[in-house]
Amino acid sequence: MKALVVDDSAVMRKVLIGALARAGISDVDQAADGQEAVNSCNANDYGLVLMDWNMPNMLGIDAVRAIRGAGKTMPIIMVTTEAEKSRVIEALKAGANNYIIKPFEPAHIVTKIQEVLGAAG
Amino acid sequence: MVGPFERCVASETEQETVRSTRGESLVSMNVEHINPFIESVHELFETMLGINVSRGNIGVSTGSNNPREIMALIGLSGPARGAVSISFPASTALRLVEQLLGVETRVIDDTVSDGVAEVVNIIAGSAKAKFVTDGGTPIELSLPTVFRGSDFRVDYPTQSVWLEVPFNTDLGPFSMRVTFDFEESKTKEGDSA
Repeated sequence: MKALVVDDSAVMRKVLIGALARAGISDVDQAADGQEAVNSCNANDYGLVLMDWNMPNMLGIDAVRAIRGAGKTMPIIMVTTEAEKSRVIEALKAGANNYIIKPFEPAHIVTKIQEVLGAAG
Repeated sequence: MVGPFERCVASETEQETVRSTRGESLVSMNVEHINPFIESVHELFETMLGINVSRGNIGVSTGSNNPREIMALIGLSGPARGAVSISFPASTALRLVEQLLGVETRVIDDTVSDGVAEVVNIIAGSAKAKFVTDGGTPIELSLPTVFRGSDFRVDYPTQSVWLEVPFNTDLGPFSMRVTFDFEESKTKEGDSA
């Protein structure tokens, strides 16, 4: 299974790639903004997307809308500092499957990834 | 505006001490508003990095001219106006990124800049959510900016008040500076920001 990690921080992408590896996912693409993420999703079949919110060029929330608008159904987990309740609701309405707020415990994100993939069947 | 790390925040007495240092000029920043940012520092270091952190006394910042620093700055807008900066000695920044990535880091490079930018992003993001409850309009974050080099100076306009909080951790010391003006009424649902 191939995953996509979307974050404008290269350090955070590496942290998330490490979490994916601990969850058993080693085939990972990276994108540094929402537009790159949309392009990658149009060109690949991912089994999971981890999506930041605040990024240059295109916000993660807009990327989620674009990905869902293109008919893609893979699980998308928002991984973001945006912790307000209204943001969480907005993301879930846009089509995100789950929401992880930074800062997170390293073990927590591995568990969350496994939960989301389990629910996706 | 308090959470599991409320033990770390500024007490009423400490807030009053800070207020008295600048008198009326501090009207532009409520000293209590520093507390969500202090909590967020603790959340980041203790939850995500597993690192103990302790803070020193809160003061009014007059700027910075420490040539060993690497500084990450992020702006806040919408129902609040302000900015947060985190300044690290180079040694702390290197150890911080080592801790984040689990790999040895010896030179201040783009990866380290990226790491400290993410740190200020997480601290500001976590803090801003503590001001807005009940579905109110979220405070917006800018993209972070990083300053690094052997000789730079940071000055603040006389009208702006920045509070400074020094921290010490197992990774080394660092300091946070915050200027923040928040209008709670602007976060109520239905208001545009």
